[in-house]
Amino acid sequence: MESAEVYEVFARKEHDGELKHVGSVNAADDDLALAYAWTLYDEERWIEMCVVRRSAIIPVTHDGRLPVWGN
Amino acid sequence: MSRTERETEAEGMREFESTEGMSEACARGLRHLLLACADTKLLLGYHYGEWTFGTPELEAAVASCSLAQTELGHVRLLHALLHRHFGDDPDALVERRPSAEFASVGFLDDAIEAWTGFVAANLVVDLAVTRTLYALAGSTFRPLRMSVGKMLDEERYHLHHGRGWFRTLARRDNEVAELRRQTEAALRSVAEWYGPKGEAEDAALVDAGVKSAASPAILDAIVRDVTSLAEEAGVALDAPAWKALGAWNPATRRLQVGGPDETILFRLRGTRNEVFKLT
Repeated sequence: MESAEVYEVFARKEHDGELKHVGSVNAADDDLALAYAWTLYDEERWIEMCVVRRSAIIPVTHDGRLPVWGN
Repeated sequence: MSRTERETEAEGMREFESTEGMSEACARGLRHLLLACADTKLLLGYHYGEWTFGTPELEAAVASCSLAQTELGHVRLLHALLHRHFGDDPDALVERRPSAEFASVGFLDDAIEAWTGFVAANLVVDLAVTRTLYALAGSTFRPLRMSVGKMLDEERYHLHHGRGWFRTLARRDNEVAELRRQTEAALRSVAEWYGPKGEAEDAALVDAGVKSAASPAILDAIVRDVTSLAEEAGVALDAPAWKALGAWNPATRRLQVGGPDETILFRLRGTRNEVFKLT
């Protein structure tokens, strides 16, 4: 796809459970990302699911550097 | 007491647990409407299933397969209502009905050869059935109202898929003309499915509160949804004009005799594997 973007998919199984990263999808826009996430990661009865554009994620750790304990 | 029941009471409308007490036109109209939605969902499920392979990307293949499964699940729900309240045999509705008795949207009669056709079916035809179900969400016919919420929840992702793919194809110069042609054909087909203004069965359903909006209002909403999406995507669509549909048949929701292609029905029914069916 010429304009596909990577979206990270997060989901929650129970109301008091944690929101977990469950995978990612490639999609041309937000509508397709929602549809793809819901149909691709349907192995559980999620009570909440959301997608985030990977490009919108702000890295906290330093890209391309060796991990250092305590960072 | 649910909010809907209170509203029903406030409007002085009767709540129905069955077709008992409905006018003849209302009960007949309800059966025809349930059949039309079930038939269209059956055909949508077939076409979505066919497009499990051959999609432009893997995610769309998984989505098409999932869309097929939900449509077939909805067919079972609608057939259960038809069985319980009208005595219809779900097996006979699928397996032993002539093509000319199907009340599905005509756009789905033949094989969908191109992805643009799939997108038009997903965006327009799927939306048409969903908008119809939306008009039944507060129905005075309680058994139907109890089933509609689940279907609407699941249909949300169908709409996202159709909208996303329409926008994607609209950005491609070599696809946009065919996308426009297919979308306009789907809109014309849906307009025929909704029938003429002031149709007697439709009016009876609205009068009894079984349906919250008449067919012309639902079609107007669909045309608005689709043309505004197309406009945002830079595609100018010709909206279908209301015509005098004198010979329109409320049982098949068509102007002329027609129905799904026999090859499609043969494959959909699994006629070839009839010998293996459990009795």
